[in-house]
Amino acid sequence: MNTKQEPQRFVIPIGPQHPALKEPGNFQFTVDGEIVTKAFVRLGYAHRGIEKAAEERTWIQDLYLIERVCGICSHIHALAYCLAVEQLAHVEAPPRAQAIRVLVAELERIHSHFLWMGVSGHEAGFDTFFMYSWRDRERVMNILEKLTGNRVNYSANVLGGVKFDLDKEQIASIRSGIDFLEERTRHYLDVVATDFMFLQRTRGIGVMSRAQAEIMGAVGPTARASNVARDVRKDAPYAAYKEYPVDIILDERGDLEARFEVRLKELFESFYLIRKILDTLPGGELTARMPRKVPAGEAVMRVEAPRGELLYFIRSNGSDKPERLKIRTPTICNLTSVVKLAIGHQLADVPMILAGIDPCFSCNDRSVQIRTSSDPDGRMLSWDELRQHGIDFYKRLEK
Amino acid sequence: MNSEEIITVATGVVKSWDWATETSQPLPKQLDVKVKLIKELVPIIVGLRVKRLGYLAAITGIDLGPEVGEMDVLYQFCPGDVVITLRVRVPRQEAMLPSLCEIIPSAEVFERELQEMFGIQMLGLHTTEHLYLPDDWPDGVYPMRKDFDPQILSH
Repeated sequence: MNTKQEPQRFVIPIGPQHPALKEPGNFQFTVDGEIVTKAFVRLGYAHRGIEKAAEERTWIQDLYLIERVCGICSHIHALAYCLAVEQLAHVEAPPRAQAIRVLVAELERIHSHFLWMGVSGHEAGFDTFFMYSWRDRERVMNILEKLTGNRVNYSANVLGGVKFDLDKEQIASIRSGIDFLEERTRHYLDVVATDFMFLQRTRGIGVMSRAQAEIMGAVGPTARASNVARDVRKDAPYAAYKEYPVDIILDERGDLEARFEVRLKELFESFYLIRKILDTLPGGELTARMPRKVPAGEAVMRVEAPRGELLYFIRSNGSDKPERLKIRTPTICNLTSVVKLAIGHQLADVPMILAGIDPCFSCNDRSVQIRTSSDPDGRMLSWDELRQHGIDFYKRLEK
Repeated sequence: MNSEEIITVATGVVKSWDWATETSQPLPKQLDVKVKLIKELVPIIVGLRVKRLGYLAAITGIDLGPEVGEMDVLYQFCPGDVVITLRVRVPRQEAMLPSLCEIIPSAEVFERELQEMFGIQMLGLHTTEHLYLPDDWPDGVYPMRKDFDPQILSH
């Protein structure tokens, strides 16, 4: 690790490789002894130019592009995009489709929260926790695979509805899976609230007050753990959340412990919601007819991703391609807060604080640079060149 | 506050600047405010913030292309289920906007993005370092502009 000396201070770079999670981001912490006095963030290591690429593609092609913004929360991105385009086109997806969208969104939340739980357990040095929670996460991944055919990038949405229906066998396997996961969640909640060693890493660490959370614009479970009642599912219900309301889980402590508890308690809401949807799934069509061209106009769509509020802004010029598509992910809001929070803490607590907001860098970063041994400085590729590069690369592999 | 109250309060705030703004309501839960004088932008935002309507959800830049020669910048505030959009229009050449960091610290990331992706100079923003783009990105090339040509990057 390189250290750079400022007058009587050390700047310690964390990242770009794996700063806390297995994703790239660079943080520079100025330290005075063990205490962090200044923090700076640099992103873009996973920037793929998706917003620009979306302007060059049709509404339908964009759906597949958007699903690939993030592997963890691909469904919620596609959902936000579909809802925004449907709003512009004055199309409404049928009730059954909306319910299935919410069902998949909640399953995705369970998978995301379990993933996060394991990763932050690992950051705390509690690897048993990591292994058990990731074992259990497989259960929800299997459910998702059974439903949609994929473990990640489920591709459940189409413009105007969803692609698949549920059959009896799938419903039964979701129910038994949810029962199992609920029992496990209860156990994990007990662990994070009582395990003495673990509490030493979470209690009173990274405290964010309500006022701080509000002024720094924190969203999602990070905000709710600081007693800010901000949840899009409740504030501005979309898809079928009007018919299937959720309770907001709040905690006033604002430390890492609270963030653990809020996320775990949210899972019970998800389990409840999934059961309710399975009990009262409305009948009818799965898709509504969608025009190829979308009328000119603007749409803002907000949805609650596992990590917090996700905002899509779309401007259409009446053609078959969007004029502008803007994605504001929850992590970007929470990162600002985390950088400020780290100040005054021990350097050793920084990974836990970082992991505590559940950052998702690939969501955040959306240029492509290829480095080869013959061209160590790297070279920028256009989209066509990149596509050709991919084709050639795999052709070489086949030989 | 429910959505009607939020819209009423926000309209009240913006009304104090009626000589510099144009307000419309494209959807029941959306308030659209065109800010014609850029220097009034910050005071209006302070006004919204005082009324606790200042949760800044995003700042979106939109290039209207070289023919128009202008860019739109939208400030989206999302209190409750309402979306309040403040719109300003800046020229493509030497675009400048005041930074909001002093009143809304979370605006920094959005402003840094506007600065590097659209080439809008943010007055009062303390850093010009890249947030997303690589360190060796050429100066004066803004990828989110409509006339951006990726060929400029191949060397």
